[in-house]
Amino acid sequence: MRRRRLFWQLYPATLLIALAALAAIALDATMLLRPFYIAHTEDDLESRVQLAEDHIVPLLAAKEYAKTDALCKELGQRSATRFTVILPDGTVVGDSLQSPQQMDKHNDRPEVRDALNTDMSKGVSVRKSVTLKETMCYVALPVQQRGETLGVVRASVSMAGIDGALGTITDHILVACLLTAALLAVATLIIARRVVKPLEQLSRHAEWFARGDLDHRLSTASSEEIDGLAETLNKMAADLKDKLDTVVRQRNERDAILSSMVEGVLAIDTDQRLLRMNEAAARLLGIEAARAEGRSLPELVRNIELHKLVAAVIATQQPAEGEIVLRDREARFLHVHGTVLRDAPEGRNGALLVIYDITDRKRLESIRRDFVANVSHELKTPVTSIQGYVETLLDGAMDDNEKREKFLRIVAKHTERLHAILEDLLTLARVEQEGEKMQSVLANGPLRGVLEAAVTACGAKAEEKDMQIQLTCPTELTTSMNASLLEQAVVNLIDNAIAYSPPGQKVEVFGLAGEREIEIRVRDHGCGIGREHLPRIFERFYRVDKSRSRASGGTGLGLAIVKHIVQIHGGRTAVESVPGEGSTFSIFLPK
Amino acid sequence: MSIHLQREIDKLKRDLLLICSIVEEQVEIAVSALFDRDPALAQKVQKMDEDVDRREINLEEDCLKTLALHQPVAINLRQLIAALKINNDLERIGDMAVNIARKAAALAAETTIEIPADFATMSEQTQAMLRKSLDAMVQMDAVLAREVCASDDLVDQLKGKIRSRIEQQIRQDPEHIGSMLRLLSVSRNLERIADCAVNIAEDVIYMVDGRIVRHQAD
Repeated sequence: MRRRRLFWQLYPATLLIALAALAAIALDATMLLRPFYIAHTEDDLESRVQLAEDHIVPLLAAKEYAKTDALCKELGQRSATRFTVILPDGTVVGDSLQSPQQMDKHNDRPEVRDALNTDMSKGVSVRKSVTLKETMCYVALPVQQRGETLGVVRASVSMAGIDGALGTITDHILVACLLTAALLAVATLIIARRVVKPLEQLSRHAEWFARGDLDHRLSTASSEEIDGLAETLNKMAADLKDKLDTVVRQRNERDAILSSMVEGVLAIDTDQRLLRMNEAAARLLGIEAARAEGRSLPELVRNIELHKLVAAVIATQQPAEGEIVLRDREARFLHVHGTVLRDAPEGRNGALLVIYDITDRKRLESIRRDFVANVSHELKTPVTSIQGYVETLLDGAMDDNEKREKFLRIVAKHTERLHAILEDLLTLARVEQEGEKMQSVLANGPLRGVLEAAVTACGAKAEEKDMQIQLTCPTELTTSMNASLLEQAVVNLIDNAIAYSPPGQKVEVFGLAGEREIEIRVRDHGCGIGREHLPRIFERFYRVDKSRSRASGGTGLGLAIVKHIVQIHGGRTAVESVPGEGSTFSIFLPK
Repeated sequence: MSIHLQREIDKLKRDLLLICSIVEEQVEIAVSALFDRDPALAQKVQKMDEDVDRREINLEEDCLKTLALHQPVAINLRQLIAALKINNDLERIGDMAVNIARKAAALAAETTIEIPADFATMSEQTQAMLRKSLDAMVQMDAVLAREVCASDDLVDQLKGKIRSRIEQQIRQDPEHIGSMLRLLSVSRNLERIADCAVNIAEDVIYMVDGRIVRHQAD
């Protein structure tokens, strides 16, 4: 059914009822008025006839018809009534308006016939007069004397006057009705408006609630019921707002907790579709959060171990954990803990994954493992040699002068090497130890002095290989440093540069002022370092090429020492290298 | 479209993605085996290939079953056809990863042979192409797929460069000809993996646009 506005339901109906009532009353009044008026006229005429009768009876009895006619005319004149006197045979003997001789017999007139009929004794009729050609009201009474009917006296008045009067009255009633109707129309309109308007206002304002503007308050000044409704709606809105606020606050709290977590949290349903994910998870798994909406986990992360784990959790409904390696960018080791996610939407159980990044831990583990292995290996190699040569000497080679000297030299070389390793280890330990209490020992000083000292220290080695060390550093450059340690670091870098360059090449040392940092750069044109080694090159005993670096006399600790010294200064180290073209090591110190 | 068909396609998609992740890892491990000279990793690749082969056959059977049962049209049909072809390509990539891993295992013993630096670039490029083509498949992204097609030339160039370098080394040092030939084989396998990645990308374009872009010089 079509919905109609309340106003259109209310207004026409009310108006119609009022108008109908009005019309009924008006109609009734008009209808009743005419018979009432006619009855009144009849009574009036009857009494006039009776009055006239007293004068006419004697004339009729004496058969003085001329006098009768004259009387009729006189009476008629005086009372504005037409009197007619008719003999029982219908002959008119007197009439107020016409001469009786010109009138036909009247005994066929209904009122006369009724009057002559002894049963009725009175004749009444309203009809068009044959004689006068207009509507008249007739009342006829028989004239009797001593039981004999002498004739009939008839009085009549024209209905024109009555009808005129009636017409005026009807007109009045009609005008009154129309006025009332107009008044009613306006009044019901106002009433209907007053009923509907607050409701419309209410519904318009309630729409704001529906749109979510719960701070808005309804106000109507209308009937008790509507005000009550508005108040209830206001209360409802306030409650709703409270509840929504609570929900939003709780959700924000939950979101805040989730997004502040270091661990990645990931919820998926049984179809492995992503339900929720926090920032850490997106970061760890390398997922673009914007694209993740509604996708399934296999689409987002292609890793077989992860999928096996998730599938196992969903299939067995048992928690599971495992380690996965993501290799899409740099290799990342993740520890994934999967549990069953109960009460996932639509009653389906999914899985909740908690992901930790264990890359650092893995790397530290491997560094420690490598360190122990390396340190043992590095120490063992010279010791084994020494042991071997000493045993050979003891077994008799001691007596051979030539061999003895040669072997002792070898032993001496290895001892030296052992010493160098131990020395470096001690330096490293010292640097590490000092690092913990170091900050206060840093003093501001010119950088060039330190670099010059380092270059001088390496001069002998460079000359051996016929190499040049080129120093470029503005004299005014100063930095906060521990001069002897920084010198040691630069010496180590230059040593390396010399060791891994072919003879005749040059090594460049720069001191540069950056925007926020001071950079010490050592560049060589040597063999360079493979890219895969770069991230680990500052680790202790890490060797790019095991055989070669040992042959060139390194202990494997030089760069580790550099790194520690720089860390003490609050700086950082960096390395760039192209295999076959050379390497550039940089130390960045904060200004 | 019937819900059953959609469900079947979703499942096929998941299975295909699993094969994707295994194959991608195979290639990664094979490349690591080459650079880290680790024969154990090579063995792992071989083991994973058995899994890939089994899954390939299962997926193919499921695809055919879905085709026969549901007789899909339009995008669904293209999805299934593309899945069949991608599945095939993935299996071949897996085989090539095994080839690389075998050569890597053999090369691991030959410590004197240096692996040319171009191999790092080439394997990186190949892996990037494979990753991009699979990403394009997941995201139904024809633009990304076209990028993959365009980047094939670089890998071909690298292969040519490595080839001439190896030829030169063989001439200089005929003693290590076996290792050199192995390296050559590795580069060929890498190049073919890149080709397969291009095939996958072309299938993605077919699946999204419904246009077959193979054998077109554009």
